[in-house]
Amino acid sequence: MAFTTRSRLVNPRLGTYFGIFTAAFAALVLMALMLEQLGAADAQVRLIMFGGPVLFFLAIGLTSRVNEAHDYFACGRRVPAFFNGLVLGVAALGGAAFLALTGSLFIIGFDAVCLAIGWYAGLVFMGVLFAPFLRKYGAYTLPTFLGRRFESRTVRIVAAATLSVPILLLLVAEARFAAYAAAWLLGQSERLMVAVVVTCATAIVIAGGMRSLTWSSVAQAIVALLALAAPVTIVALMVSNLPLPQMTHGNVLRLLTRAEINQGVPIVLAPSLAFDLPREGVEQLVKRFIQSFGSIGSLSFVLMSFVAAAGIAASPALLARSGTTPGVYDARKSLGWAVLVAGIVLLTLPAVAVYLRALLLEQVVGQRGDSLPLWFQLLQQAGIARIEAKTQLVRLAGIGFERDAVLFALPIAAGFPQVLVYLALAGALAAALAALASSLAAIGGILAEDVVYGLPDEATPEATRIGTARIAMLGAAFVTIWLAIAAPADPLQLFLWSLTLNASVSFPVLLLAIWVKRTNAWGALAGMITGFGVTVFTMLLGETGAISLPSALAGAVGLPLAIAAALGATKLTPAPGRNALDIVRDVRVPGGETLYDRELRLLRLKNRTPA
Amino acid sequence: MMERNESKSYWRHTKVQMLTSLLPFVLAMIVLPLYADALNHKRILGMPLGYFLACQGLSVIAFVTIAVFVNRQDAIDHWHGAHEDF
Repeated sequence: MAFTTRSRLVNPRLGTYFGIFTAAFAALVLMALMLEQLGAADAQVRLIMFGGPVLFFLAIGLTSRVNEAHDYFACGRRVPAFFNGLVLGVAALGGAAFLALTGSLFIIGFDAVCLAIGWYAGLVFMGVLFAPFLRKYGAYTLPTFLGRRFESRTVRIVAAATLSVPILLLLVAEARFAAYAAAWLLGQSERLMVAVVVTCATAIVIAGGMRSLTWSSVAQAIVALLALAAPVTIVALMVSNLPLPQMTHGNVLRLLTRAEINQGVPIVLAPSLAFDLPREGVEQLVKRFIQSFGSIGSLSFVLMSFVAAAGIAASPALLARSGTTPGVYDARKSLGWAVLVAGIVLLTLPAVAVYLRALLLEQVVGQRGDSLPLWFQLLQQAGIARIEAKTQLVRLAGIGFERDAVLFALPIAAGFPQVLVYLALAGALAAALAALASSLAAIGGILAEDVVYGLPDEATPEATRIGTARIAMLGAAFVTIWLAIAAPADPLQLFLWSLTLNASVSFPVLLLAIWVKRTNAWGALAGMITGFGVTVFTMLLGETGAISLPSALAGAVGLPLAIAAALGATKLTPAPGRNALDIVRDVRVPGGETLYDRELRLLRLKNRTPA
Repeated sequence: MMERNESKSYWRHTKVQMLTSLLPFVLAMIVLPLYADALNHKRILGMPLGYFLACQGLSVIAFVTIAVFVNRQDAIDHWHGAHEDF
């Protein structure tokens, strides 16, 4: 039965709106460029490049205020596949890809590709294994689905508790990335900017929940993609006369490889379990760009790509999006768009790294330490780059570079106007804000729907549910600010920990919930608790050095053990009830009414008729 | 809506489609990076072949995988009458 049609749900003018937004943003950047050339104060230009986009996001977020739970938690199920995919792709990447992956590619070259592989493989896994089925169920949060599927409130509460941990880690990581970009953009301290960006993200998402999040994230995605593309495309045009950095950085790469051989950069071979991703701050360039398995061993490489893929695929922050499309077919299609968007970004980032490394080899390496080009001196003064000896010839291995600064160091190195540097920073900020806001919405939904109202029935008035979600988001935002300031760990490491926890807690239980009909509540509980416990324990052992497994790869132990525990516990306990089997059967078939909506409709009917 | 006795064959079809989509992709995900160094002396578009396959190649494979999956799975839905009726 179709109550509503696709054409009635989807706003046909979305393309026009965001076309206007794109034009407005381009105009803003051009205006800033003109102001800079006319000699406006640097602080003014910085403020325009920070305030302009952020005001746009805030305006979209605040005007999308809603009062209905259906809109607040699922955006009214009216997001077309393309826009959903765009948001998914950019929210999955976030600041971790734009800032940290670019830097890691620059510093350790090919070895960092394992993360890129994890990203798009994760989106493929999500599209094939999870998203269409979760869309058919249509629950507002992941623990709600698990609780219903296993007919158990305990499963719901345990899922909410264990899944909040990776979301919180992700929140802190993205808050740090966003604050990093904002701090360079405004020239303020990072601690202050943590509070500013988290406040912005909360303000964007709090009024309209998923609706605000979706439409402001589309704008953020547009800003992030444009800002990534602009500087690197200009460099590509200058180098190869073709505006396609993704495909044309090959010749530069060849020259780069030859220069590295001439420089005598050694070929390092790491043991197969080595995992030496660049840390936060200034890191030495040690290996050739193209050589594989010099910093990350071959086994670690494969394990990392799988852990990252499982972590992205089962990320509760991203799966909350799966309920927003009009139908199951659109949910699948949106993952196709997400893979496309993420793929384009993840092909552009190596180009940034290659161009910067080539510029470094061409203009800095082999020069005397006290007669370096102006841009490198600027980077040195800013604390982004460092060389060992000031008076000798600079060697590649003697250069240190700040990991997260590579993205905006390219426009500086290419001698572009300051506005393009600020544009790159604004893009990274927008991507990190998109990821931050989506995690905030997810954790707000989980705390309100599953922890507070998980015990009584869904019959709570909608206004109360939305109010609780808003309060939960505020609380999560405060905790994020506090954690990001009080415990400044490496944000990339936090991001990887969040992935590894997703991979071992949420991935196994979701996989079994959908693909193995026999799994029951005991199996789900055993899987989640085993996955969480084993992974945290392995991470602790890895961090203290008791075992040689790096803590980011703990999911590779947790995931199989969680599946084994879940299957074992399922075998030993009685089969799930008729209702649970019906849910699985229904979830597997795309046709028919969205299950969660039907449930709420029936509940409303029951409450209306006096007993 | 789908007939009740159709659901078994629908799910079997779906499972086979899932495996045919994911297994080649997972295989490529493991194999391409591992042999990247061995392929790097050959060139394509000016890039070392191993690097090209592990970056550009794998992301294109990912996109093709998901695009083919979306179309095939939609065809399966329609074949068994399990599609949504909008």
